[in-house]
Amino acid sequence: MLEASGLTTKYGAIAALRNASVHVGAGEVIGLIGPNGAGKTTLLNTIAGLLAPVSGSVLLDGADVTGHPPERLLRSGLALVPEHRRIFTDLTVEENLKIGGVTVSSTDRAVLLDEMKEQFPVLAEKWTTAAGYLSGGEAQQLAIARALMSKPRLLMMDEPSLGLAPVLVDVVFGLIESLREQGRTLLVVEQNAERMLAVADRAYVLRSGAVVAEGTGAELRVRDDLFDTFVGGDS
Amino acid sequence: MVERFRATAMFPLLAAVMLFGVFVLGGLTYQAIIGGGAAERLITIMLIDAIVVLGIQIYVGNTGVLSFGHIGFGAIAGYTFGILAIAPLEKEKRVPDAPFGLTDVHLSTWLAVVIAVGVTVIAAFVIGLGLARSGAESGAVAATVITLALLFVTHEVARNWPELTGGDRAGLSFRIGGNLDTRAPIYLMLFVAIVVATFFAKSRSGRLAVAAREDNLAARAMGINPLVQQMIALLISVAVVSVGASLRVYQDGSILPDDFFFNYTLLTIVMLVVGGRNSVTGAVLGVAVMTAGREFSRRLGQDDFEVFGIGLDGAPLDWIFRENLQTVFLGLSMLGFMLWRPKGILDDWELGDWMRRRFGPKNDVQPDLAESVTSDDDLVLVASDVDLFFGGFQALAGAGIEARGDEVVGIIGPNGAGKTTLVNVITGMAEQTSGRVVLGDTDLSTSEPFEIARAGLVRTFQNLRLFGALTVRENTEVSTLVAARHRTERAHPSVDQLVVAAGLWDHRDRRASELDYGNSRRLELARAAGMSPSFLLLDEPTSGMSDSESLEMVEQVRTMADLVGAGVVVIDHDLNFITGICDRIYCLDRGRVIAAGTPAEIQANPQVQAAYLGTG
Amino acid sequence: MTELLQNLIDGLGRGSIYALLALGVAVVFGVMHLLNFAHGEMITVAGYVAFWTIGTNDWSWWLVVPLIVLSAIATSLVIERIAFSRVRGASDFTLLLTSFGVHFVVSAIFLLYVSASVKTFPRPTWVANTYSVRSLNIEVFDTVVIGVTLVTLIATTLLLQRTMFGLSLRAAAADFDTARLMGVKSDSVIRGAFALSGLLAGIAGVFWLMRAGSTTPTAGIDPMLKGVLAALIGGLGSLRGAVIGGFALGLAEVLLRSRLPDSVASLTEGVVFLLIALLFIFRPQGLITVAHAERV
Repeated sequence: MLEASGLTTKYGAIAALRNASVHVGAGEVIGLIGPNGAGKTTLLNTIAGLLAPVSGSVLLDGADVTGHPPERLLRSGLALVPEHRRIFTDLTVEENLKIGGVTVSSTDRAVLLDEMKEQFPVLAEKWTTAAGYLSGGEAQQLAIARALMSKPRLLMMDEPSLGLAPVLVDVVFGLIESLREQGRTLLVVEQNAERMLAVADRAYVLRSGAVVAEGTGAELRVRDDLFDTFVGGDS
Repeated sequence: MVERFRATAMFPLLAAVMLFGVFVLGGLTYQAIIGGGAAERLITIMLIDAIVVLGIQIYVGNTGVLSFGHIGFGAIAGYTFGILAIAPLEKEKRVPDAPFGLTDVHLSTWLAVVIAVGVTVIAAFVIGLGLARSGAESGAVAATVITLALLFVTHEVARNWPELTGGDRAGLSFRIGGNLDTRAPIYLMLFVAIVVATFFAKSRSGRLAVAAREDNLAARAMGINPLVQQMIALLISVAVVSVGASLRVYQDGSILPDDFFFNYTLLTIVMLVVGGRNSVTGAVLGVAVMTAGREFSRRLGQDDFEVFGIGLDGAPLDWIFRENLQTVFLGLSMLGFMLWRPKGILDDWELGDWMRRRFGPKNDVQPDLAESVTSDDDLVLVASDVDLFFGGFQALAGAGIEARGDEVVGIIGPNGAGKTTLVNVITGMAEQTSGRVVLGDTDLSTSEPFEIARAGLVRTFQNLRLFGALTVRENTEVSTLVAARHRTERAHPSVDQLVVAAGLWDHRDRRASELDYGNSRRLELARAAGMSPSFLLLDEPTSGMSDSESLEMVEQVRTMADLVGAGVVVIDHDLNFITGICDRIYCLDRGRVIAAGTPAEIQANPQVQAAYLGTG
Repeated sequence: MTELLQNLIDGLGRGSIYALLALGVAVVFGVMHLLNFAHGEMITVAGYVAFWTIGTNDWSWWLVVPLIVLSAIATSLVIERIAFSRVRGASDFTLLLTSFGVHFVVSAIFLLYVSASVKTFPRPTWVANTYSVRSLNIEVFDTVVIGVTLVTLIATTLLLQRTMFGLSLRAAAADFDTARLMGVKSDSVIRGAFALSGLLAGIAGVFWLMRAGSTTPTAGIDPMLKGVLAALIGGLGSLRGAVIGGFALGLAEVLLRSRLPDSVASLTEGVVFLLIALLFIFRPQGLITVAHAERV
């Protein structure tokens, strides 16, 4: 479904991403793991069109979408749940979701709103509350629900468990698991390597802006050279 | 003494002399080649414009606040100068009913200049109060609008108070022995302006103002009161502009409201931004470039003008077109530079700095680490019963911590528990609904962030806040400058020692904006330590770091805290990090402390497990 | 009492125009963080439209009103396209100076192709008419202005609250990048904001020109300044604040003009500016504080 190859992205003179390639097949759940500053978020933002790569290409179902702006990529079926959730704190939960569905027809939007109400009872309770008053876990669910409103074919998430207490981390990984059961295609950046490998089909390990390893959880765990990626973890 | 001069003052001074020399010689050469009164006048005006533009640069460049009001200050100076310097006989004709008996006042020209500068600086002080407050509160945009309003006030008053100003049409004219008959005062004042602008940027005030320009909040967290530094910049800047404006009025022999209004504002601002507003060299270059361009476009409108075959001679153009070519040129230059090169030709490149880097003494001897300072174990930081409401949401409900000067105290808790909010309250960046913050005997409950920093509580930020355009050394230097004045009871490591301790020696001359994430974190820690604080408050120093990096950070924090003898209060959600570094830990949940104790006690506490670890 | 009431009505009339201008400034500020010093150029252009149609060709005001509004919208969009679209996301400094540059270029264009002189056109005849309610003398003009402004403000509120465009605009104002991630097209939301801003300036411009009956290349400065100041008084970033700021500015001007002693009455504008400076010393965030729910 997604074929990103040879992506290089720079901030000023510093290459934050160097020749990184990622492949995601339909229905797969793929993890992007690695220490901070490894370029995971940069990779995701480059694929999502928030950053322009210096070289490399992004293909979506064979069509070249390199350098397309995010609003256009979303219309091609690629949605991103950004780091730190970035919900619209001044808008209500309902309005946040409506914005998520800005690209679909108004009838579809109404249907999707009802679906989200059902799938996220926490949000249904606070439907008309300003989103700034949600707790961290609720806000993360809103961010994911908001992305689902665009009926994405590929959903990307950036550090969905960041800054959440372990109880809420469970909730988030539960959500990823259920999205996986729905047959959705996911590309998830996670700091929490252990937990991610447990739900992912495959994962890519990044370090210093480059992809240094790729494989299933079982394959990656036995690699000694990746030890520091997993040290501590949440085991 | 000589050593110090070589290191600090020699190159800027040399650069000022060269800048002045090249600029003036360039003008004189043009004058000699073209000849005639018009060329002479053009160069005189250019020299005066340079004084005004340098004056504006002092404020705009160092504070980053765009001011449209400096020409308004120029108007105040110009009119004050005019009304004082014009002979009573002449005033009898122009402004017979001038208020305050000004008609009869007769002062020497130079006394009039001095008084004009004084009056304008007083006006600037009053305006500066409003400017600083609104700028701090609603950002630079609000301050800019106020300066624009000032420009309009002075213009309105000048037009509608004919008793004082001669009004819109007649204006004030001179018959005080004619116009300036020598350029000597202009040369002198231009040189002074270059030197003042150069050395202000190098001064303590200038450096602190630039830090606040780069990041206002971080500057306040480092004990800088940006309002004071901006005010100093404003007053010096306005004084220089006032001198320039008085000279201009003297040179013109008259003053009308429109002389110091929109068009002159446009001209001076364009000159400043085209050359590079953050650089004195840039300001002077901008004046030269724009004067040349304007003169070229003016001559282009004349029938007999042609250069390299370009000329409008005989072209079927309306005379209006030719008349207004200059205005078009200015407007297009402004727009063009903003669209394609917003930082101007030179950005912040400075001749003096370049010469020092090229020819100056090399500073590449890595210093030895300073002796550690013994921490002050009697000093206690107490935050107690802190409540805070955001709208209807209670972020803190009676939260509080206590920390001794030789301790490392951790704050943990689930997301939204109020950890950062509590640190914000302690450092004065959030206003608590009730509750007290006391350090030793000093009550800091209602103090401003910069006062709290000076008292010894210095923080870092969860999302990095460095002074991006400054180098690693300069970032650290900012806080040591503040410490040297406000933390006198403490021993201070030198800038270089701090840089070495942070492991940033190899990067010491790189801009902070070019550092990678880990080094940025280290620099933020070094900058905070440069304040020689009693307590370092660290907000998630390992946010998003891998575990091995977190362990390095533990060492880093220890080194820095030992170096300056500071206690540490650290927020983190990384348990490895927190338990690895802390003597005691507080656990927050929903705005209140639910447990406190040693790391082992905290980990065993069932309430903590329920709320935080999710294993209860 | 009567005098106060009279001032109140006059002030509301004047304030209505300022409120429309300020709202336009605030809408653009919201999506681009641009304080538009070229906001008056819509009225400069509209002034020449009025001059060419009414002034030289005797067209009827009724025909020209929609033309003026359309020309304001078009000007707003063209300026966005040529200048502001290139500096999206730039620093405040760059944005401010870009708009300042736009102002100078637009006035230079009219300077070049028309001239610096004042161009006049007849005011509509009913502008000076008044009617009496008890002891109050009310201008027909003020009544129309206040009425049209109210309708415009209500319509704008509905647009912002009830439509997907309005929602997109508010989302983009809160967090532009994230709005784009949601599929909000930055081009359409920014152009929409400029179109709305142009529409509001166009309506204000109709009234402004009906009252002025003339234009010059720099005629835009005055309405721009009123709009920008009103937006600032209200608290930048708040749409509601901008409207309140507009009315406050109008009322302040009228009250001062009628209350100040004759000797300083001509300095009203200066006094208003001083009051604004004082306001900022004592309440630097403007009249309305935008209450953000804090993200913890």
